[in-house]
Amino acid sequence: MKSNLRALDSNPPRPNAGFGFEGRILRLVKSVPERRAIESGQVDAVIDPTTGKAFLLPDAQQALREDQARVRGLLALSSDWFWEQDEHYRFVSHTGTASGSSGIYDESIIGKTLRDPPFDSMGESDWQAHQRLLEWRGTFRDLELRCTDRAGVMHWVSISGEPTFDQQDQFTGYRGTVRDITLRKQSEALAQISREKLAERTRAEQRVERNPGNGAARGIVSRKNSAERRRQERPLGKVAKGNPIANRLLAALPRKDYKSLLAGLEPVTLTYGEVLSEPGEPITHVYFPNDCVVSLLTTVEDHHALEVGLVGREGMVGISLVLGMGVSSVRALVQGTGTAMRMSAARFRKEFRENLPLQGELYRFIHAKLAQARQIAACNRFHGVEARLARSLLMTRDRVRSDQFLLTHAFLAEMLGVRRVGVSLAAGALQKRKLISYTRGKIRILDRKGLEAASCGCYEVVKDL
Amino acid sequence: MPRKKTKREASGRAVATIVVMRLYIANDAPNSRRAVANLEAICKEHLKDRFKLEIIDVLETPLRALADGILVTPSLTKVSPSPAAKIVGNLSEKSSVLHALGIEIEQPVE
Repeated sequence: MKSNLRALDSNPPRPNAGFGFEGRILRLVKSVPERRAIESGQVDAVIDPTTGKAFLLPDAQQALREDQARVRGLLALSSDWFWEQDEHYRFVSHTGTASGSSGIYDESIIGKTLRDPPFDSMGESDWQAHQRLLEWRGTFRDLELRCTDRAGVMHWVSISGEPTFDQQDQFTGYRGTVRDITLRKQSEALAQISREKLAERTRAEQRVERNPGNGAARGIVSRKNSAERRRQERPLGKVAKGNPIANRLLAALPRKDYKSLLAGLEPVTLTYGEVLSEPGEPITHVYFPNDCVVSLLTTVEDHHALEVGLVGREGMVGISLVLGMGVSSVRALVQGTGTAMRMSAARFRKEFRENLPLQGELYRFIHAKLAQARQIAACNRFHGVEARLARSLLMTRDRVRSDQFLLTHAFLAEMLGVRRVGVSLAAGALQKRKLISYTRGKIRILDRKGLEAASCGCYEVVKDL
Repeated sequence: MPRKKTKREASGRAVATIVVMRLYIANDAPNSRRAVANLEAICKEHLKDRFKLEIIDVLETPLRALADGILVTPSLTKVSPSPAAKIVGNLSEKSSVLHALGIEIEQPVE
């Protein structure tokens, strides 16, 4: 355009300056300042006195088209349909942008108001209030209405609108947008239901706590058989008051997710030497240790066993369930007496499916456990008994959170996969260096720094796992 | 010795009378939008609240523009005080706009 009009100014105005668009402009615009403005691209529109109408120059047309496309694009992002109504609030046009909108908002809507089907949630008083707003020509935003599509499926929509006026400022109707908010409404309803359920459960729990005479109801899950009954139950109150969530994995969960787990958790005391699971046997419970330590052993030819992992308050025993296996792959042996929270396998499966933060924490824990097992596997192959013993004692210490704990020769031999003589020699060497004291299964760490120095580098690697 | 004027002093002599203007534009077209922005900036700086501006969209009311002798947009006309003046384009040349509106700027005294 500019290039075509470049020479305009140099030529004097001619009564008939040719044909086409440029010619038309040249015929209409004759004064020098206006031509100069056109030439420098500063003009948007020219008015034709013969027709009494203004027309846009190509550059301005292009710019306006782009503007409109931009506005349309933004509108499409924020809404699913546009609509227009006449002065009687009846739909006169609609433009859909969302797929799958058929049946809710199509030709059948033309001529109808928000009071008519498919909209079905506007009561008489709501409609009157809405109509008053319309009479005042007010803008309305996010009016939430229910509607039923042709297939009979219910949807929720959010409607916004503003009044339109003609050139003489006469009211011509309304125009606006519709968004399908069915998904949001559904999730809100679900959240409401679960909130109510939780409140109900909390009320039930409070009733139990207010009535402590009923001893059996104190532990939330009742014990099932006599074999399990020998596990002395620690009162829930003691765990809850002294150290609300001793287990780090449970403590890392958001409060509400922990609370939903709590109903299925049962406090138990695990004693030294107790076997929680055997390889190949189904897992009946998962355990979240509070202050006990569980050693994971891999058995070879039934009588040889080697420690491949250690679980304390940082984790959970029974990770095979997380990985979809109901059968244990290791022997879980309680190495340090203490308390734990346990949950039945069936309940855990359900909780694990539904509790996303729990899933995240468990995946993180399993990753750490896997790294730990790999490190221990390499350690067992390459490092001396003394260094491995030091590493193992330090790992136990970290989980028991005490410098003093019980470990028999036999147990240590199993942990390290060596003969008892080997353990005696290694323990004796550490004792001679005044790093530990060891009498009749009681181990006391005297010099933690020194023991760290005596251990292999593997301790540094697995320390934080 | 050259004396620098403060910004306030340099911003032109006070115009006692109210300047009445009409700006003819074409909807939201780029030059029209620019003209509105440029004029608003000039008015804010030099006229404060001593002006009246009417903005006329020629796409909506072309006859009104024709009656005022306007053929292209954007165009700015000064209706009063006399003499009447007209300036065509997006008003990016500030000095010519000021000249058309009859606003004099005092040059800093050398």
